[in-house]
Amino acid sequence: MEVLKEKVEEEAAATEQAEVAERGEKLLRPLDARREEAPMTQEMLRDLEKKLSEIEIVVPEQPLTFTKDSIDISKLPLSYQSNTLKEEHLLQVADNFSRQYSHLCPDRVPLFLHPLNECEVPKFVSTTIRPTLMPYPELYNWDSCAQFVSDFLSMVPLPDPLKPPSHLYSSTTVLKHQKGNCFDFSTLLCSMLIGAGYDAYCINGYGSQDLCHMDLTRDVCPLTMKHKEMVREEEKVPSKKYAIKPPRDLSSRFEQEQEMKKQEEMKGQEEKQRREEEARLLEVEKAKIDPLHGLRVHSWVVVLSGKREVPESFFIDPFTARSYSTQDDHFLGIESLWNHKNYWINMQDCWNGCKDLIFDLGDPVRWEYLLLGTDKSHLSLTEEEDDGMNDDDDVENLGKEDEDKSFDMPPSWVEQIEISPEAFETRCPSGKKVIQYKRAKLEKWAPYLNSNGLVCRLTTYEDLECTKTLEIKEWYQNREDMLELKHINKSTGLNIDYFKPGHPQALRAHSYVSMQPEMDRVMEFYETARVDGLVKREETPSSMTEHYRGRSDFLSYRHVDFGPRVKKLSLNSAESNPRPMVKITERFSRNPKKPADEDVAERAFLIQEERIQLRYHCRDDHITASKREFLRRTEVDSKGNKIIMTPDMCISFEVEPMEHTKKLLYQYEAMMKLRNEEKLSRHQAWESELEVLEILKLQEEEDDAHTLAISIYDTKRNEKSKEYREAMERVMHEEHLRQVEAQLDYLAPFLAQLPPGNKLTRWQAMCIKDECLSDFKQRLIDKANLIQACFEKETQELQKKQQWYQENQVTLTAEDEDWYLSYCSQAMFRIRILEQRLNRHKELAPLKYLALEEKLHKDPRLVEFLKVFV
Amino acid sequence: MHRLYNSLEPRVMDEDMLKLAVGEQGPREEAGQLARQEGILFKDVLSLRLDFQNILRIDSLWEFENLTKLQLDNNIIEKIEGLEQLVHLVWLDLSFNNIEAIEGLDTLVNLEDLSLFNNRISKIDSLDALVKLQVLSLGNNQIGNMMNIIYLRRFKDLRTLSLSGNPIAESEDYKMFVCAYLPDLVYLDFHRIDDHMKEMAESKHQYSIDELKHRENLIQSRLEDEQAQQEELEKHKAAFVEHLNGSFLFDSMYTEDVEGNKLAYLPGVSELLQAYKDKFVIICLNIFEYGLKQQEKRKLELDTFNECVQEAIQENQEQGKHRIAKFEEKHLLSLNAIRDESELTNFEMKIVEYGKDIMELFNVLMTLEMQLVEQLEETINMFERNIIDLVALFIENVQSLMAQCRDLENHHHEKLLEISINTLEKILKGDVDEDLPDDLRPLFVDKDTIFNAVGASHDIHLLKIDNREDELVTRANSWCTHLVDTIHKNEIMRNRRRVKEINQYIDHMQNELDSLECSDVID
Repeated sequence: MEVLKEKVEEEAAATEQAEVAERGEKLLRPLDARREEAPMTQEMLRDLEKKLSEIEIVVPEQPLTFTKDSIDISKLPLSYQSNTLKEEHLLQVADNFSRQYSHLCPDRVPLFLHPLNECEVPKFVSTTIRPTLMPYPELYNWDSCAQFVSDFLSMVPLPDPLKPPSHLYSSTTVLKHQKGNCFDFSTLLCSMLIGAGYDAYCINGYGSQDLCHMDLTRDVCPLTMKHKEMVREEEKVPSKKYAIKPPRDLSSRFEQEQEMKKQEEMKGQEEKQRREEEARLLEVEKAKIDPLHGLRVHSWVVVLSGKREVPESFFIDPFTARSYSTQDDHFLGIESLWNHKNYWINMQDCWNGCKDLIFDLGDPVRWEYLLLGTDKSHLSLTEEEDDGMNDDDDVENLGKEDEDKSFDMPPSWVEQIEISPEAFETRCPSGKKVIQYKRAKLEKWAPYLNSNGLVCRLTTYEDLECTKTLEIKEWYQNREDMLELKHINKSTGLNIDYFKPGHPQALRAHSYVSMQPEMDRVMEFYETARVDGLVKREETPSSMTEHYRGRSDFLSYRHVDFGPRVKKLSLNSAESNPRPMVKITERFSRNPKKPADEDVAERAFLIQEERIQLRYHCRDDHITASKREFLRRTEVDSKGNKIIMTPDMCISFEVEPMEHTKKLLYQYEAMMKLRNEEKLSRHQAWESELEVLEILKLQEEEDDAHTLAISIYDTKRNEKSKEYREAMERVMHEEHLRQVEAQLDYLAPFLAQLPPGNKLTRWQAMCIKDECLSDFKQRLIDKANLIQACFEKETQELQKKQQWYQENQVTLTAEDEDWYLSYCSQAMFRIRILEQRLNRHKELAPLKYLALEEKLHKDPRLVEFLKVFV
Repeated sequence: MHRLYNSLEPRVMDEDMLKLAVGEQGPREEAGQLARQEGILFKDVLSLRLDFQNILRIDSLWEFENLTKLQLDNNIIEKIEGLEQLVHLVWLDLSFNNIEAIEGLDTLVNLEDLSLFNNRISKIDSLDALVKLQVLSLGNNQIGNMMNIIYLRRFKDLRTLSLSGNPIAESEDYKMFVCAYLPDLVYLDFHRIDDHMKEMAESKHQYSIDELKHRENLIQSRLEDEQAQQEELEKHKAAFVEHLNGSFLFDSMYTEDVEGNKLAYLPGVSELLQAYKDKFVIICLNIFEYGLKQQEKRKLELDTFNECVQEAIQENQEQGKHRIAKFEEKHLLSLNAIRDESELTNFEMKIVEYGKDIMELFNVLMTLEMQLVEQLEETINMFERNIIDLVALFIENVQSLMAQCRDLENHHHEKLLEISINTLEKILKGDVDEDLPDDLRPLFVDKDTIFNAVGASHDIHLLKIDNREDELVTRANSWCTHLVDTIHKNEIMRNRRRVKEINQYIDHMQNELDSLECSDVID
């Protein structure tokens, strides 16, 4: 301890030198990087060096480097360009800390403590975090926050993939330019998360190649992943006391077993084949081994459990906005982490990636802190044990010794982070973003950027090289026809459109192969928004099936079979020549108000056979249902009379034969009613066909000329309200101008001539009045003269021109003549206007003069004097 | 009245008149032709108009069971009668008659529209059964008392009322009064009541209405209380332990016991009696609670049983329905095939095949049913055993509790005897207490008398306890046997019905097949 203390003093004395030394050390960093993994042999080192040099060539190819030239330093606020005293002090403390650290842990990489900012000023990393709560409710949760950061910024790789960057810009600058490296990403995300109340930290560590290069080509797109069906095991109902016993099973158990065995064998084989297939696929997908594995520097964010009901700590990769468990394979080590209050160094071994790390920041054995006295101390050990451990490990006391206990982190030097609503809406730089996943490509656009409302497109491919398209999903927003998602399956050619509530025909989904009418299609509807309660309509070239729900007539299903179209000579469009209906089948759900024997369950109109079949509902305790069949033949009996109804025209089976239904009258009436209903059903089927045509037409129109709906709350895009608002503003402005004019004091210049403070005398008042009037008169005359002068000038010029024309008339070209004529007409116009103005002025001038005189008489300052005089 | 009904002979409602009316008002055109061909049964008629017929007496209407609308206006009817059978009547028009009192409507519970316009009615009553009444027309009558309107408050659905042309309608306050007392009314004398009017009426008659309401509420709540008590008692009766939740049994022991009541005046007996009563009541309460608990248990048992049986039946039905549906699909196809078949040999083959199918269906359905019968029988037997055991256990336990009662009684008897003998001895010694009541003295003549008196009291008590026990046991047992019987009977009925249904269906199918055969043979 004593030794350490002395050393501290010594080093404090020679701060300057040390700083220089440290800078030097920084330059030597690649060596450190290599030194990090101690058990490496020389050979490996050499090998690595070789590979490293190979890699270095690749990196500069990336054109997206974020140079300082593009930043206008002069406009940045003062806090960016210099350090306050406290910050200076902090930097000293940090340097000191860093020196001791490198002394005690010589085999570790120097700390990432105070990179330079955009003004080349060293700033401590914690002060670069500016906790901000965004004014957008969407950005209150970590997932949307991370998504925003990953969308909003475009990624720039680190200049040296093995070192933390030399510069760390403020989040405001990063936001302005919409690009940054992983440190910029995580700093911004961390600021937002801490602002939203999360216990978040920036991490400086090591990540896998995919992670560092934002390479998602070997990840499955989250959008393509099927939601795992929550298979809820039906809770086995304990068999009730009086449950009946099943009938005895009389089949041979031996045979069953044999069958089972056979099936199992088959299954085993299939399983084997499948596994082999999978293994083969995996082999293909496996990337080549990264030579720099474990050395690539990356920065990400950790959210610790505790605040905002986070149950478990997790990592967020700011590039992809994905969350990972702290045990994930992609994260290979942590050097240090920090938030806006403090800085911790990881003292745990990262031989197994981050899997064994414990994020108990209060534990000084595992996490060495820079500043004392932060609230982070949920150490589970007791005090005594703690002390005992401290004696063993001298690294412990690094931070405690060299600074006064009350020192805390200075406030952030970064300006308030602001995101304009426009930028927030546009999200991605220039509104577009493309992400390549494994067998999938995701494209995103800002709303209103595409004229058809397209905001997102996911293309899935069959192969890894992304050449054969499997299916396309397109998401739309703000469509007037409420189209939400278009799903195109390239292999089957099936298109499915999904709509939000609000379509004119309450369409919910529409799946089709072609837009031609009378083809295979399925339409689903929002049945509550429809008067007829239609849920689904399926069509094939020769039939149409409709499903209903919640109708007052209990109709639940209608199926129409069409026959081949009869050729008509006159008109041949689909509307004028509907296909003949062959059969209409309708099903009804049970109407609890009617007895089952009178409640029709299904009726079929065989139109061409003139047959009507009825099937009634089954009674609760029965297994057979009544049936009735009407044959609608109009025949003539032997005497030539029309037969109205005969018993063989109605064949019926009744579960419980009733008396009144046997009567011909009853049957006749039932048949008449059914005939009417048949007509009605036919009409409805015809209307359904028309509706399909209408929907198709509407969709076609919408596809041709799409208009996007604009919310009335959207002040920027809503042209109408914008115009109105601007008009209102203009009116207000004019009003304001008029008021200013009215306040203009015509007496002011004359009153100013008088000695100030004195009261006006009558004589003075008279003088002022006269002066004012004469002045005004002079002005009127001047104006008249001016107009006169202009007039005369114009006339003279015209005369001159005319003279010139007459002299040179012979030699003039056609062009010149044209020019002369146009000049004449313009000049004549000007002259006429001037003349009019002069006349008008002459008319108005006396009136104006009188008006002023009147006004002066009424002026409150002069009135008492003038009154007496008058 | 002002009509000269005397100018025409009063007519009798006879069969011919009704037939004529039915024929006239029946279906028209083609349907009418059919109707004439077949004849119309009176019970199929739903609506009947008999106006301007000079009918004096309503008669011969009992056959019109399903009549919903009956018009008897513009006759000379004097008494409402003969309508008792027309329980489905919704619409009844008796206007322009000579009716003097409302009567004979007590069975017409479905009546919604009643017109008694232009009669001689002076009092509104006898309408209590018409709970669905919506429209009531009583104009041009002789109703003179406003209180008649209060009678109409009981019709919660009444929306239209006409009373114009009555003496009460001439009173100034008439409208206000009606509006105030019948706030749900929408039309009065064919005019809509506006809200303003309603408000005015309400404020005017507020006090009397409030009072009326209060009285009505009181009656209502009393009725509800009584109902609740009745229900409670029913529940206890179902558990066979009614009146055991108090001193009812104990009190009943002493109501007929003259000697016992007399002896209670002996010194020291009243304390003894009190202690006895307390203990006795505690045992009664035990029985009561035990009874309720057992009742719950039995109910649960029965519910589970019913549920299981229902499930089994439901499942069986589903299977049957499924079979039939499958068969019908096939049936349609094969019928068509048979019809289309032209060659005779093929035709016959198909017919035979189809017949086989029908037989197979029959077999399958019957097998299903027999399976169910067997399964149910087993379950029912199990349930029977359990429920009998339960009841037996209940009876046993109650009996043991009752035995405790008897022990108490015996104990009390001994104590009482002791006191009595002591008293007797004292009296015989001449060491008489002054405060011995006079009617007790005759008992203390000699040992036998007092022994007899105390014994008689004891016997009565024991008898009461025995009676209560017997009642409980018999009722519990009879309930049990009845329950089991019903279950068995129901199951048999169900089986019969199902078998009949299957047979009917199969017969129908067979018939269809036969007719097909016949028609082809004829062809």
